[in-house]
Amino acid sequence: MKKIAIAALLASVTLFGADHVIDQKGKTFIPHEITVKVGDTLTFVNSDPFAHNAYTDDEANEFDIGMQAPGTKKTVPVKAAGKFDVECAIHPNMLLEVTAN
Amino acid sequence: MIKKSLLATLVVSALFTGATANDDMKKWLRPTEVPQPTNNKLTPARIELGKLLYFDKRLSKNDTVSCATCHSPARGWTDEVPTSKAVGFEGRVGPRNSPVVLNSAYQRHQFWDGRAKSLEQQALGPIEADVEMNMPLKELVPKLQKIKGYKPLFDKAYPGEGINKETIAKAIASFERTVVSTESPFDKYAKGDKKAISKDAKEGFSLFKGKAHCVDCHDGFNFTDGSFQNIGLHDGNLTGKELGRYNVKKRAAWYGVFKTPTLRDVTKSYPYFHDGSVKTLKEATVICSHGGRFEHNVKNKSDVMVDRHLSEAEVDKIVEFMKSLTGPDLDIKVPTKFPQ
Ligand code: HEC
Ligand code: HEC
Ligand SMILES: [Cu+2]
Repeated sequence: MKKIAIAALLASVTLFGADHVIDQKGKTFIPHEITVKVGDTLTFVNSDPFAHNAYTDDEANEFDIGMQAPGTKKTVPVKAAGKFDVECAIHPNMLLEVTAN
Repeated sequence: MIKKSLLATLVVSALFTGATANDDMKKWLRPTEVPQPTNNKLTPARIELGKLLYFDKRLSKNDTVSCATCHSPARGWTDEVPTSKAVGFEGRVGPRNSPVVLNSAYQRHQFWDGRAKSLEQQALGPIEADVEMNMPLKELVPKLQKIKGYKPLFDKAYPGEGINKETIAKAIASFERTVVSTESPFDKYAKGDKKAISKDAKEGFSLFKGKAHCVDCHDGFNFTDGSFQNIGLHDGNLTGKELGRYNVKKRAAWYGVFKTPTLRDVTKSYPYFHDGSVKTLKEATVICSHGGRFEHNVKNKSDVMVDRHLSEAEVDKIVEFMKSLTGPDLDIKVPTKFPQ
């Protein structure tokens, strides 16, 4: 698990920071915890047959990707350091804990 | 790791039930424990105190309304009138149908629009609401402090904490955590008793999980995944309470959405939907399986609310299945004597 994550990280490192793919599957975020760097991006991919969402009310990183149809993806930047929760507005039991360094 | 804990739960549930359910039935079984916050673990003293507060009409301004007035054990933990009519403070009408308190312990968000995050946070709302009990907490706390009989009960339940809004809320929440579903015929079926429900109910369950897509929202043992959905009960531009969770925050995904309710004991909780506008399970099923009450011109309707082309016989089978989710009434003795 960890190894794969590290490999994915290394593979996607660019001059502008890494992109981290978060799968929205089975009404969960996979992974549900992630450590990233400021300047990285989070890409949400909806693998379920129904709509999802992802938002955070964290002041420094605030985003809301809106209604996300099945099979689509959306990318958001990580703007500031800190710990924050990302939730799905439709399924509030979907939680992602982000630690940004 | 995961395998091991799975096995452990299996063994535990086998011990409790005397039967092992097969794997895909397991997610429908009632859990053996209710979630409890670390600062308010259940104790008999807390439950007993909470129960007295829940039924005590002195928690309202003019001693006429208790929590049980609107969420009565005799009426499926709700009030069976569309919008809490003629039951609130001096007969004032609240804007929403009273939801069931049953199993609210398992929800991450309380209220139809999810505005309260815990039962503790929720309990204080209705006490102060003018259409409910109309009792400012500033007045309630001294009122309860003056009732001598309550002091030893609070001391026993929350030693050293006193009578204040926190301990009142914690005690009521503790009682609510004991208001959970009893074993329904469906539970017996899920644990392996093939004869516990009718053939129609079994077929209804298959439709519920399959063709009818009910499980896209009414998922898990409590028959809700906690999701907020717009199922097209209203069309056009929404106003006021119809906006649902959008009133908590103007997030696009929250336009006209309401919390997916539990379907356990649903035969006891009519009328249905947040506005109490539907009287029968059949009508509710028809709405939920035909793309909502309004198929067109609904802003932000859920993408799974589409016509599933069910026959009337199929709708009837799903209703039969939902009826099998009702267990015997909880054995709760309603207090007749209150602390003086
Ligand atoms: C006058 C009627 C009335 C009284 C009295 C009342 N409630 Fe309610 N209750 C309601 C209504 C209506 C709602 C739904 C409100 C909403 O969603 O906006 C509700 C919602 C709730 C919920 C949320 C359930 C869910 O599924 O979201 C709980 C729990 C609850 N009440 C407990 C209590 C407690 C505890 C008391 C006493 C302190 C109480 N109620 C007093 C009418 C009442
Ligand atoms: C898109 C998610 C979704 C799907 C799919 C869905 N429901 Fe619901 N259901 C809800 C929501 C949300 C409510 C409450 C809506 C409201 O009051 O505004 C509800 C309400 C109900 C109620 C009323 C319960 C009460 O206590 O008021 C019943 C019964 C019901 N649904 C049955 C079904 C059946 C049967 C199916 C499949 C045919 C189904 N639902 C499909 C989300 C869904
Ligand atoms: Cu979601």
